[in-house]
Amino acid sequence: MAEVTRDRWTGRATFIFAAIGSAIGLGNVWRFPYMTYEYGGGAFLIPWIIGLIVLGIPWMMMEFGMGRYFQKSAPGVFEGIGKGWEWLGWWPVFVAFIIVTYYTVVIAWSLHYMVSAATMVWGVGQAAAEGAGGYYFGSVLQLSDGPSILGAPVWSILGLLALVWLVLFFIMFRGARVIGRVSVWMVCAFWVILVVLLVRGVTLAGAVDGLNYYLAPDFTTLAKGDVWFAAFSQIAFTLSLGMAGMFAYGSFVAKKADVTNSAFITSFSNCATSFFAGFAVFSIVGFIMQAMNIPAEEVSASGLGLAFVTYPAAISMMPGANAFIGVLFFLCLFFLGTTSAYFLAYGGVISPIMDKFGLKRVTATAIVCIISFVIGILYTTSGGLYWLDMMDRAVSFYGLLITGALACLVVGWAFGTRKLREHLNESSDIRVGAWWDWLLKVVVPAGLLFVVIYGGFMNDVPEAYEGYQVGALNGSHIIWIVLGVTLILSFVLGAVKTKGAKRG
Amino acid sequence: MTTAAIVTTILIWLVFICGLGFCLSRVGKGGTWQD
Repeated sequence: MAEVTRDRWTGRATFIFAAIGSAIGLGNVWRFPYMTYEYGGGAFLIPWIIGLIVLGIPWMMMEFGMGRYFQKSAPGVFEGIGKGWEWLGWWPVFVAFIIVTYYTVVIAWSLHYMVSAATMVWGVGQAAAEGAGGYYFGSVLQLSDGPSILGAPVWSILGLLALVWLVLFFIMFRGARVIGRVSVWMVCAFWVILVVLLVRGVTLAGAVDGLNYYLAPDFTTLAKGDVWFAAFSQIAFTLSLGMAGMFAYGSFVAKKADVTNSAFITSFSNCATSFFAGFAVFSIVGFIMQAMNIPAEEVSASGLGLAFVTYPAAISMMPGANAFIGVLFFLCLFFLGTTSAYFLAYGGVISPIMDKFGLKRVTATAIVCIISFVIGILYTTSGGLYWLDMMDRAVSFYGLLITGALACLVVGWAFGTRKLREHLNESSDIRVGAWWDWLLKVVVPAGLLFVVIYGGFMNDVPEAYEGYQVGALNGSHIIWIVLGVTLILSFVLGAVKTKGAKRG
Repeated sequence: MTTAAIVTTILIWLVFICGLGFCLSRVGKGGTWQD
């Protein structure tokens, strides 16, 4: 049988841009700026940068390094550590798979808004701005009263979801070479658009007030556990780790190439982008505060509310070029979402399937795209937003953090950090010392478990998540079921014997 | 912007610019751009 040829990046720059594209996601725009404002302004940036250095970068080096060492995606990496560990490589694959099924629906919403913004469908002026929430929840989502009332799919969103998967298929079916090139274009285009949005934002009346809310430091908050929890959780979520994909991205790097410095460059670029995006977001928050004469607390400055209610409201009230800025903003979200979506689908799901079952790339890509699209139909229904929220909590919070902590513990204690460190240092621009071993073996898993216990179990065990109820099950029950089922399926896939990859 | 917000902005940009500058200056010490 012919020697297996591993999928490869065309060069280091394409690898770094692909990794930056995967790390930069919607959270950089709609989570980080709000967290900074909420948890002490500029003071929040101190624990955030500490978290980046002691938690985020060592974790990313581990995922890149293990992928490069074994030249396999996540399940192959853990199988390489020991046959009994392969399940731990499949669990984050399920995390990535579930995330991409709903992440693509958010991209479809962005496309819907891009078209709507071109003609300012929701209207111009203050009255239209006040109705932006009604347009999103009523016209776009056609939101029902709860997760048990699904209703029919919203056909316009369903059509756009199909389009998103078609685009993703054409990006992914040629492998890392095309993904890398597309990433360079999309990340650069996103940065250019962000600059335009920033300039528009800071030249609006009231923008300075918003920036003061964003950055004015309150150092007394550093004594509070909540702030450290928020900073560490932000780092845990922002780098797209714990979703299997970075193992695969590392495995597309040649064995003699650097990954340590690439992890530093990726992490710094991602966090610099978050910080920059905060200016674009909070200048808009300040503008809305002044235009509508409301306090900052009443402006929805995070999550879906920021993207699909607050920003459209701000666009309605801008003194000119409303449609242009609106289209640019949602194009920006489209780029952000797409670079992360193909990372999740290709690095997180398709590559592990190819490694395990030896499927051709085009076949594996088509299968994953079709199945993901079918599952994604759930989130296009009237009750879809509730299910999206529960699935997000199950996999993007619990799944990511638990699998991430376990992966660091197994690599740290079973594989051995010294072995990995020596492998990393062989061809690294930046050599790391023994301090890195203890970060990976102790600090990173402890930090991730702190976030999952303090921010997760302590809330969702005593109380039903968001008060959701589906028949006899509440929101928390559904989260535990999703985690349990994906864990069992991971053990099953880990136990299946195959001949492995025939093609790269 | 308040002085505190401006100082924060400058300090954080210094961290990123110096950090990225250092990393980019190290390229070629182990791996290269062609890898």
